[in-house]
Amino acid sequence: MRKLLALLLAAALTLSLGAALAQENWEIVVVPKDASNPWFVRMKVGVDEYAKETGLNLYQKGTPEIDATLQAQLVQDLIAQGVDAICVVPVNPESLEPVLKQAMDAGIVVIAHEGASLTNVNYDIEAFSNSGYGAFIMDNLAEAMGGEGLYTTMVAHVTNASHNEWADGGVARQKEAYPNMTLLEAEPRVESEDNGDVAYNKAKELFKKYPDLKGIMGTSSYDAPGIARAIEELGLQGKVFTSGTGMPAANKAILDSGIVKSLTLWDPALAGKAMAALAVKVLKGEEITAPVDLGVEGYTALTFKAGSDKVLEGQGWVVITKDNVDSFGF
Amino acid sequence: MFQSLLKATGVHKSFAGVHALKGVDLDIRKGEIHCLAGENGCGKSTLIKIISGVYQPDAGTIEFDGKALARITPIDAIMLGIQVIYQDFSVFSNLTVMENLALNSELAQKRRLVNWKRMREIAREAVAKINFEVDLDAPVSSLSVAQKQMVAICRALMFNARLIIMDEPTTALTRKEVQALFDIILKLKAQGISILFVSHKLNEVFEISERFTIFRNGELVKTGETRELDSNKFTYYMTGREFAPQQFVPEQVSKEPLLEVRNLTAKGFFEDVSFALHAGEIVGVTGLLDSGRSELALALFGVRPADSGEIRLKGRKTDIRRPRDAVRGKLGLVPEDRLSEGLFLPRSIEDNLVIAEVDRLAGPLSVIDRTKRRDEIRRLVDEFKIATPDPKNACQTLSGGNQQRVVLGKWLACNLDVLVLSGPTVGVDIGSKHDIHEILQNLARGGMGILIISDDLPEILENCSRVLVLKSGRIRKEMDTRDADERLILSHMM
Amino acid sequence: MRQWLRRLTRRNEPYIFLVLLALCLLIEVRSGQFFTANNLVDIASAMVVPGLFALGIYMVIVSGGIDVSFPALASLTSYATTKYLLDAGYTGGIWLPMAMSLVMGAALGAVNGVFIGFFGLPAMIVTLGTSSVFKGLMQGALNSVQLAVIPEGMRQFGTDALFVATNPVSGLSSRMPVSFLIFAAVVLLVFFLMRYTYFGRGIYAMGGNEVSAHRAGFHTRRTKFFLYVIVGMIASAAGLIRTCMMQQNHPTNMLGMEMNIIAGVVLGGTAITGGAGSVTGCMLGTLLIVIVENSMILIGIPTVWKSVFVGALIVIGTGVSAMQVVRANRLAANRNLTQEAAKA
Repeated sequence: MRKLLALLLAAALTLSLGAALAQENWEIVVVPKDASNPWFVRMKVGVDEYAKETGLNLYQKGTPEIDATLQAQLVQDLIAQGVDAICVVPVNPESLEPVLKQAMDAGIVVIAHEGASLTNVNYDIEAFSNSGYGAFIMDNLAEAMGGEGLYTTMVAHVTNASHNEWADGGVARQKEAYPNMTLLEAEPRVESEDNGDVAYNKAKELFKKYPDLKGIMGTSSYDAPGIARAIEELGLQGKVFTSGTGMPAANKAILDSGIVKSLTLWDPALAGKAMAALAVKVLKGEEITAPVDLGVEGYTALTFKAGSDKVLEGQGWVVITKDNVDSFGF
Repeated sequence: MFQSLLKATGVHKSFAGVHALKGVDLDIRKGEIHCLAGENGCGKSTLIKIISGVYQPDAGTIEFDGKALARITPIDAIMLGIQVIYQDFSVFSNLTVMENLALNSELAQKRRLVNWKRMREIAREAVAKINFEVDLDAPVSSLSVAQKQMVAICRALMFNARLIIMDEPTTALTRKEVQALFDIILKLKAQGISILFVSHKLNEVFEISERFTIFRNGELVKTGETRELDSNKFTYYMTGREFAPQQFVPEQVSKEPLLEVRNLTAKGFFEDVSFALHAGEIVGVTGLLDSGRSELALALFGVRPADSGEIRLKGRKTDIRRPRDAVRGKLGLVPEDRLSEGLFLPRSIEDNLVIAEVDRLAGPLSVIDRTKRRDEIRRLVDEFKIATPDPKNACQTLSGGNQQRVVLGKWLACNLDVLVLSGPTVGVDIGSKHDIHEILQNLARGGMGILIISDDLPEILENCSRVLVLKSGRIRKEMDTRDADERLILSHMM
Repeated sequence: MRQWLRRLTRRNEPYIFLVLLALCLLIEVRSGQFFTANNLVDIASAMVVPGLFALGIYMVIVSGGIDVSFPALASLTSYATTKYLLDAGYTGGIWLPMAMSLVMGAALGAVNGVFIGFFGLPAMIVTLGTSSVFKGLMQGALNSVQLAVIPEGMRQFGTDALFVATNPVSGLSSRMPVSFLIFAAVVLLVFFLMRYTYFGRGIYAMGGNEVSAHRAGFHTRRTKFFLYVIVGMIASAAGLIRTCMMQQNHPTNMLGMEMNIIAGVVLGGTAITGGAGSVTGCMLGTLLIVIVENSMILIGIPTVWKSVFVGALIVIGTGVSAMQVVRANRLAANRNLTQEAAKA
């Protein structure tokens, strides 16, 4: 009996030693939606940086164009290749499920990003919770407005789930933190139809009808630039303000000219790092309990999304101002 | 002594193996009114298209004013003075009268820019030629059929026309309008213009033409002086068949009426109309176009329900607010314009035949029983001698007479008690007309009650036992057809 | 005078004008902002792109056809022009981009024209197809992404103002864009084309009865071909103007506009079956749609009810004017009949 125990112990030791040795050789691959989109080029920057910092065998590999079928083939190739972990930003979550199941069955660790609906993954990382991001946009808008005045919110469509959760989050944040700001009750939410020209015309209408309006919280990436165009044309620069989601390069002009003080976003480079860090944690066999600290900015206190044990949400938002607008590369 | 204006000799034309014209001749003299007659598909239209330059003949010669024509285009024909007035008049109903009149000549002069003043001048001149009074700025869509035809005639006259070909010009005209048209034709003749009048209506041929030519199956059957022609000969030349007149004599007339109408009124159309129709009987209703006769038919069938009065079917008071009510009461309508109201032209003959009895053919769950449907279609096609290679073909592939048979077949499939027909043989050739009359008479003998609404008086006299004459929406006279003749009925109509 | 009035009642424009006027008054009452200089300039400026599209589609519908490919065509030509000139580092004025767009627009319009005019295929099917192809070319072959920066000459053209209208009360100012001149010129051009050339009268004639138009001596195939070429050019000009005014190129920005544009044209009295319609009516209908779309907040319609309101207005507007016209025509027809009866 004792012999048997010793034998088992020895075996366990050997195994764990082997595991420790293998740590040097873990092959972790990040699969973005495609290889050329500036968003994912930025993600690659983060992945490469993280590989250098940690010395992991970590790299990003994308398909030449955004195509669900090509992405599935690429993942299959990686399974055949016998990699240890796959971090994927799915083009079409549903069609990728069967392939990810193959990967899990083959013992590969699967981490997803922006794929909260996936079931065949170890974990999915979301940059933030919708209400948290909305609050963050509100913080930026409030700062520009000096913490006081009348404001309203703009979404692509009142039926768009995430935009409305952002807007709700923003309004909740204002109620709790900015008592001198008031929501325009007559028009608490307007639609931009994901169209910069509509955002522009709606903003013009709002400023005409409500001369006291001092701020508009945008959500869609078309909102803030469209509102900015109206602010500029109506001669309201410095009197009314907007903030919201926006890509750095696309909005350099309005940030530089000062029409818009800050825009918000999440940084794909950081998301890439976070995925890799989580993959390592899982490979190491660490227990994942909230709050999870991945040692990546904005991903230091990940919590599980309500009702889920797979989806982790961070605080991975960043603010873009005229000072850092050139540093993103997209 | 007579000079030929147009002389066609030995003209042949084939289309994809179908020999449409088999060496026909046509001789039109200067200043004469010549009638070209023949049943559908006899080759009349083909010859017209050859004369007007739309088609080229395969063989044969055409001389115009003594000169042989070779390979002419439609524009050449117009320049020579040959004008065709098509059945649809080729007018633009969305444009004004003025533009309709002036477009052709402006285009012929290859103008690129519009001069509205010049257009008005041209149009004014055109209408002046036949003293046609019309608002030049009115859209043609607001004109009556007859006025549209006048527009087409005026337009034809603008090119110093020498030969005007009118393709079945009276089809959609009322009696009065036909008379007005004939006056115009006589005026044109007086100006030395020759008219080729295409028609298969016997009375018109007699009334207007001096000479005639009859085609059958792409061959010339007869040409000669109209005064040597009589009704029997005309029918024989047209169809190759002899028809004995079949005066309808009702056999078993029921005592109780199938349909009884009391004080029926539709404001603005007809008032206080009362009559009864018994099983086994055919009753005629006639009157001028504006007498309310068509509206009476629509009211009986519930298309445009009456405002007051009552309709009794088999003694039971029936409220007919929509066609479905009428069909439930076993009353059917063969409408005036079968093309737009009675048939689904692009659908197959089969579908059209059984559409009114879908309920009966449906099995459980309202799904159509296919075997039942197939048998029913076979029965109907045979019974009504519908000439088609395949009942799956679209209805629009059929000739007018055969289309009318489909409409009839459709209703008879429902075992009706009362059938109302509005202008049952309008635009139908003689042979088919005869067949349709035979069908109607047999149906009446079989116990159905039939109401024929028509302004074709010979038709009424031949088929009906009684006739009601409508004038300005009221019944002016009810007559036994044995005591009536055309002139007498007409005197009550006018 | 009476005849002139009577003729006017048979047209659709007076009714649509009244509906428009009523709407403007409603907005004024609700917001007090409608008849202000800056708001009127805003509407004029918002009218430029939809107005251009509407002129093109109006001609097509009058001819008895339809075109649903114009937003895709405009997107493709404006994207290709902007992208090419950006890559080439172009620094000149608006003329070259405009010329490039027009040439491309004509070429793509010619594709529609060949299939519809010369092969006689149904316009709806052809333009649905080419619409997909144009989108595909833009997204696939040109790999379209949002262009945040456009060549300076184009940006300049888009932000240059004919004049600036300032509201003395609120201090708000609006620019009347230079492109409004192009729009006005195209309005006049289309009006002239449709009323004073036989090309235009041929379009009306074709829409009324194509067979008769051919018999009357119109070159119907050729007319259709050039019609779609012209529409392609107008659409491409509109696309470029939209890019210049937004100072950015969003490749998908114009997609989906076709339905409201067609609705506006039909609302303005252009018969969807072809043959009838006027530039005036077409512009009034489009203006109505533009005003409605840009005045929901001014009227105070809650966002969630916006589409219901726009839809209802289209139905009511079309219904009211159509009904009036039908009634006037019926009266006229009756008059003709009684005149005739009196003569007989």
